[in-house]
Amino acid sequence: MKTARVIFEDGSHKWIALVRDPSRPDYLIDTNEYLVIDNDDAILLDPGGNEIFPAVFSALSTEFDPRKIRQIFASHQDPDIISSLSLWLEFNPELKCYISWLWASFIPHFGGNKETFVAIPDAGMDIHVDNQRLQVIPAHYLHSSGNFHLYDPKAKILFSGDVGAALLPPGEDGLFVEDFDRHIRHAEGFHRRWMGSDKAKRDWCSRVSQLDIQMMCPQHGAIYRGEQVRRFIDWFVQLEIGVIR
Amino acid sequence: MATVSQDTGRELRRIVRTNEEIKSVVATAFKINLMAMNAIFLAKRAGQTALGFGVLSNELRRFATDLQKQMAELREMTYGSVTTVTALVKQARVNRVLERARMESTGIGRSLLDDFMRTRHGISIARHREQIAALNRRLNQMIADTAQIVELGSVLARSAKIEAAYGGPFSSALMQVSSDFERTIGDIQRSLENLTKQQDA
Repeated sequence: MKTARVIFEDGSHKWIALVRDPSRPDYLIDTNEYLVIDNDDAILLDPGGNEIFPAVFSALSTEFDPRKIRQIFASHQDPDIISSLSLWLEFNPELKCYISWLWASFIPHFGGNKETFVAIPDAGMDIHVDNQRLQVIPAHYLHSSGNFHLYDPKAKILFSGDVGAALLPPGEDGLFVEDFDRHIRHAEGFHRRWMGSDKAKRDWCSRVSQLDIQMMCPQHGAIYRGEQVRRFIDWFVQLEIGVIR
Repeated sequence: MATVSQDTGRELRRIVRTNEEIKSVVATAFKINLMAMNAIFLAKRAGQTALGFGVLSNELRRFATDLQKQMAELREMTYGSVTTVTALVKQARVNRVLERARMESTGIGRSLLDDFMRTRHGISIARHREQIAALNRRLNQMIADTAQIVELGSVLARSAKIEAAYGGPFSSALMQVSSDFERTIGDIQRSLENLTKQQDA
């Protein structure tokens, strides 16, 4: 079972990270899921694949009633991001899934119907969780051609999907980045290979540099905090990407 | 008691075998249609002595067309079975994952999943199973109806053989054609017997 860790809390506004399942088979990539709660409403970010649904569901339900999740945000179309959609819909068929317009007709192969999907335009949009406005930030080609991140101005948290992701070896899989230089080695190969457009990368770096980010939460690996966020952006902007190396 | 996934796996394998038999009958029915056309031409050439044979050849052609229509309906029915079985496979997979989630959960998650598995899922799987049983009953009925049509074809082929004996100088050619009819319809009967056996298995 995964662990539910509260990474931000201010009154009724909360971020919960669902992380690190010791019973996960090693042929499945490890993923982080995040639940953003405001009062009695919640949105689940990148709910994960079918196979890890039990671990995500059980961890999540220790902190929040899963029936109250009204929305799902899928950063892009990959199976480790959203193939569990049909299982979440079993609990709440009214659930709305936000996904790039580019994937809105592909993802229904995982489940859902016409009413399920909210197609996000390329420029992004706002999503409300009860009283809180979240900003959908374009991150196209990083790595998917229709790709978004989610920024919470109240918590100052950026959910960054695959950007910032790291494939951590056993023993170095803490929830937060502790030693940036040591950590970034586990992120380098992933970013070089998975991120395909240098122009898109520079655009993204410029876009997120204008946001006040206290925490950057990727879908794989550890969370960057404070100064590490700026260090990551500086590292990423100069990284040569789109290469097999 | 067999698990849902064992049930669905067996159903899918049975549907595949049924489809293969249907394909073989359709191909044979097409062959009979061509054979009947040739027989009609042969009867015309034989003239007065093969009038009865000509009538039977026309009937055999109609039989082949009816059989093709019947097999098309059967195929449509097996397609319906695939859709239902697929829904059951999907349901079974969902069930499996939810059962794992139930085992791992505590508190509200556990009680939610307990209720869920007891009500909606149980009902849903039972409904799919009923649908498959109903489809199988209809499929059995249709195979029985088809067997009757083929029995009529068999009678026509035997009668054609008798008529061939009165074909004068064309007798041996007509005999050859009617024997071909008889053998080919025998093939169809065997395919239908296989279909029946598969349904009963």
